[in-house]
Amino acid sequence: MATLAHPDDLRRPNIASADIQLPAVTSYEQVDNEILAILKPTKAWFASLMLAIACLGLGAFGWIYQIHQGLGVAGYNPPVMWGVYIITFVFWVGIGHAGTLISAILYLFRAGFRTTIYRAAEAMTVFAVMTAGLFPIIHIGRPWKFFWLIPYPNWRLIWPNFKSPLVWDVFAITTYLTISTTFLFVGLIPDIAVLRDRETNPIRRKILGFLSFGWRNTEREWRHFARAYLFLAAFSTPLVLSVHSVVSFDFAMGIVPGWHTTIFPPYFVAGAIFSGFAMVWTIIIPMRRWFGLRHYVTLNHLDASAKMVLFTSLVVGLAYMIEFFIAWYGGVKYEQDYFWNRVFGQWWWAAWIMLTCNMILPLSLFSQKLRRNPTWLWILSIFINIGMWFERFVIVVPSLSHDVEPWQWSSYMPTWVDYALLIGSFGWFFMWFLLFVKQLPVMALAEIKEIIPPKMKHTHSHGGH
Amino acid sequence: MRGMMGVFSELDSTVEAIEELKQRKVGDLTVFSPTPRHELEHAVHPPMSGVRKFTLIGALSGVCFGFWIAIWGSNYWPLVVGGKAISTWLPYVVFGFEVMVMVGALSTVFGMFYLAGIPRLTMTVGYDPRFSHGSYGIFCECAPEKLVEAESILRRHGAVEVRGEK
Repeated sequence: MATLAHPDDLRRPNIASADIQLPAVTSYEQVDNEILAILKPTKAWFASLMLAIACLGLGAFGWIYQIHQGLGVAGYNPPVMWGVYIITFVFWVGIGHAGTLISAILYLFRAGFRTTIYRAAEAMTVFAVMTAGLFPIIHIGRPWKFFWLIPYPNWRLIWPNFKSPLVWDVFAITTYLTISTTFLFVGLIPDIAVLRDRETNPIRRKILGFLSFGWRNTEREWRHFARAYLFLAAFSTPLVLSVHSVVSFDFAMGIVPGWHTTIFPPYFVAGAIFSGFAMVWTIIIPMRRWFGLRHYVTLNHLDASAKMVLFTSLVVGLAYMIEFFIAWYGGVKYEQDYFWNRVFGQWWWAAWIMLTCNMILPLSLFSQKLRRNPTWLWILSIFINIGMWFERFVIVVPSLSHDVEPWQWSSYMPTWVDYALLIGSFGWFFMWFLLFVKQLPVMALAEIKEIIPPKMKHTHSHGGH
Repeated sequence: MRGMMGVFSELDSTVEAIEELKQRKVGDLTVFSPTPRHELEHAVHPPMSGVRKFTLIGALSGVCFGFWIAIWGSNYWPLVVGGKAISTWLPYVVFGFEVMVMVGALSTVFGMFYLAGIPRLTMTVGYDPRFSHGSYGIFCECAPEKLVEAESILRRHGAVEVRGEK
């Protein structure tokens, strides 16, 4: 365990240099022993897994019921033909953003606070995108027709429209899932080799040997690994920005009040990073407490990530305000009416949940005390998750239900099937994450070892970094 | 493949041993470390990684394929809308970009595997499980008459264990 009595009392870092150290971690052996100790299953873990599977079971029941009865059992009410499924799709794609942001963009910027949280965030990304990917399939009502979206030569005379943002989305999400999974797996190879070398069970050792591709920690392997990791980070950086931009085009390309605006790509990307970091907190803060990892994910790490959340919250808040400003300044009466309706009309409660959770509460992070208070950060992360789901609700439902033609105006009320699938998505996500944390290292062993001063015979020669 | 393997617990001892083994041209060296270290890279002084060539070729192939699939698909199965071109460059940038990233990244990983010599079915000689945990290692592949010299260099620089491997 930690050798420092109060790991939370570390000096605040200079975020500009991102120089965050782990003074309570002193040797490579300590890193392996403490992080691999997490892999042992506990009763609390089994209970959490059962809860996640129960939620997933509820979602699966709802989906089977919908397939049997038809899409009418969901709450769709023309012209509101996008509802909880598309809202939840965008929500999970957004959650999936923080992982690659932390592992790729912060890697290129040499931000030290990423080191101990990026593996969990990367895994979160993969499982979030896996979850998001289910919703367009659920939404089309006939999931067995999904392959029609994939462009390959066929004789059905139905060919995807390459000018449609929905087809762009298929390419963007497929690429993002592939690259996020590749990035996660490549980073895991040296750590799986650590597991392989400590494993005593011959069958598990064989499996781990297969998964580690016979990795031997040679200088040659590390050299090519480091270069490949750098290029993967360089590819992933624009990919992070492009994926949610493409998702935002699903809306921005539609001539619907509240959607047809050029601000959507940056607004969606900032919102995705904001919600992704919140989900990282939702996962990491209990983990650092339950698994005794407070000397790895220190208050300095949380403080640095809180500044990131505050910044993205300000960007998102600015985007909300600009939307209102453009509606007023543009002079288009449909837009003005729509935005008035958004905050004072039928859906006022959803808009005010969004504004409170995403704009007002995060302002508390201007306080240094609150930025360094894990309990507050965890509570705030729940509010942000709720607020960001409602942000997508506010974008989707009020626009469709309050279109340019008043005779079309209608309402929308999710049914139990919508709620079951929403709960099921959380069950699906957490089931995979819980299985991951007990099978593979949730922190990058090799990278954490890199920031620890190595053992030296002579104190002053060949110092560390 | 025959040689002498030394296990070290200190980084600077490993570096010194590498430098002397290289200076005396005892044999070909394979260096092991639980984490990448610049000190070892400087001591070994290897050529630059060739992964970048795979990345470039993959990315260029990807961007070409991405544009081609969209343009060819649109022209072969045209969706005619009055006043609009059947193929347009601007929306197809999305396909060019996404496929460039996908193929470029996958070919980067392929390049890493190819150049690093993985997947490897057996661990071969000269490996010790301690190298993934906390120890450094040097495997010096050399002629039988040089084994004694390699062993003495490894021991002199503080190897905690030295053993012959074949």
